Amino acid sequence: MDMLCISNLYKRFGDKEVLRGLQLHVPQNSIYGFVGKNGAGKTTAMKTVLGLLRADAGEITVNGERVVYGQTETNRYIGYLPDVPAFYPFMTAREYLLFCGALTGMLHAELEGRISELLALVGLDGETHRIKGFSRGMKQRLGIAQALLGKPKLLICDEPTSALDPVGRKEILDILLAAREQTTVLLSTHILSDVERICTDIAFLHEGVIAASGSLAEIRTKYRRNLYRIETEEASQCELLISHLRGMQRVGENQLSFCEEDCSLREVLRFLSEESISVIRLEREEPGLEALFMEVIGK
Amino acid sequence: MKALFAFIRKEITEQIRSGRLWLLLAVFVFFGIMNPAVAKLTPWLLELLADSLAESGMTVTDVTVSAMDSWVQFFKNAPICLIVFAVVQSGVFTREYASGTLVLSLTKGLARYKVVVAKAAVLFALWTACYFMGFAITYGYNAYFWDNSVAQSLAASVFFWWVFGVWVIALSVLFSTLFQTNTQVLVATGGSAFACYLLGLLPKVKRVVPTLLTDGNALIYGTSDAQAYTVALIVAAVTAVACIFLSLLAFNKKQL
Repeated sequence: MDMLCISNLYKRFGDKEVLRGLQLHVPQNSIYGFVGKNGAGKTTAMKTVLGLLRADAGEITVNGERVVYGQTETNRYIGYLPDVPAFYPFMTAREYLLFCGALTGMLHAELEGRISELLALVGLDGETHRIKGFSRGMKQRLGIAQALLGKPKLLICDEPTSALDPVGRKEILDILLAAREQTTVLLSTHILSDVERICTDIAFLHEGVIAASGSLAEIRTKYRRNLYRIETEEASQCELLISHLRGMQRVGENQLSFCEEDCSLREVLRFLSEESISVIRLEREEPGLEALFMEVIGK
Repeated sequence: MKALFAFIRKEITEQIRSGRLWLLLAVFVFFGIMNPAVAKLTPWLLELLADSLAESGMTVTDVTVSAMDSWVQFFKNAPICLIVFAVVQSGVFTREYASGTLVLSLTKGLARYKVVVAKAAVLFALWTACYFMGFAITYGYNAYFWDNSVAQSLAASVFFWWVFGVWVIALSVLFSTLFQTNTQVLVATGGSAFACYLLGLLPKVKRVVPTLLTDGNALIYGTSDAQAYTVALIVAAVTAVACIFLSLLAFNKKQL
């Protein structure tokens, strides 16, 4: 069963249509990368899932239960980590988690142990200061702890690493990777290296609809273009190739890249042989997620 | 219920740690002391000013003060206390909208109506505690220096003013669920109370509007009786309950 199903979701702000029939199915125990440019509608989609925004049309189910705007019933299945989590600054991390636990109806005895476990997991176990003195990274780690507190079936993370330094990002991604054993993760981000690092499935959101979705391998297979890189001995030889062959793009002083759909490998090899161009290197490139994303959104 | 009590506990902790509770307590204690103090010091002040008053042609004779002067002062200072209370508490909802702190609580499954109920309950409790503490201080000093029995219908007059405070707080809760900033909340609450005051100037509706409840002096001097306030009391109670009910509906639809 899918943990989260979004069917035909529409949302408009004024005359701007942000979501235009969004369809999304997040399988259980996956880490689902929800990728899109800033302003693509990721946060809008997630806030609608949480019942915080009213959809203009469409249906959302979480763990098989329908989400209703303004009601919080389905939120008992969800842990939510916003991009900038806001806490009560007058509380300590432990006090905040105790408060969250009481809101979810957890028993005090169970809560104490769970809080100690989570504070250790996110590296805040020795922290006794109030939250108002926390750094951005500490707040993000506390955000993960509160999101995981009720052992949610679905963990929704809205750009959790966008404001963090590389060390902080790695810490957060490692925690999410570890959480996968217990929960389904929906990770919204525009940092594609994060998706490549931890996601099992992926959906590209573009102009309010899913432009492509599936496992990372499926997307690679479907959208892969045969890209080649060629390095010549002299820069002038690159000029010769550019002037005679289609689709040649300079990527270095004496390096070119081309796609087989624009110019076949056979054609390139024949030209190299005819013109006696000395080649230092000719190799096939594995396209990164960024290239795939650009391909999917047609840029 | 567990979630509701947790949210109430959070509200109380916030009142304490933000210093708002201590500020309000200080204000109400100050005015609680000032009411009898001003009455007590009046003869001494007039004696001090006797010479300069005599030069202006005014003669100061023996001035006798009683608990009545202190209670008049109490009803004069009560609006100041209520305004301070409303200003200090005007951001109870709006601060959470601006910072986004409510979002995480709601995503934990906290029902929206519990947010309104918890915040309103803490505000009413705080108003009750502060107001009656100020009253108790004034009453204690008055009993020590003079005799409280000179003030007629004292309990009713003090109770009516407390109801007026509850009515104003209910209005501010409603406007907090409708608006985004504390300035908007204050303007709407103050505007509504002022509109009622203006309506109260019309003889035909005077007995209906809740602002009548603030006329404690008429009761303690015996120029009016408690029954004359019944309609205003009922209107205040009904509109306060309606405000809370409407705020529950408004908050359910509020985009956070």
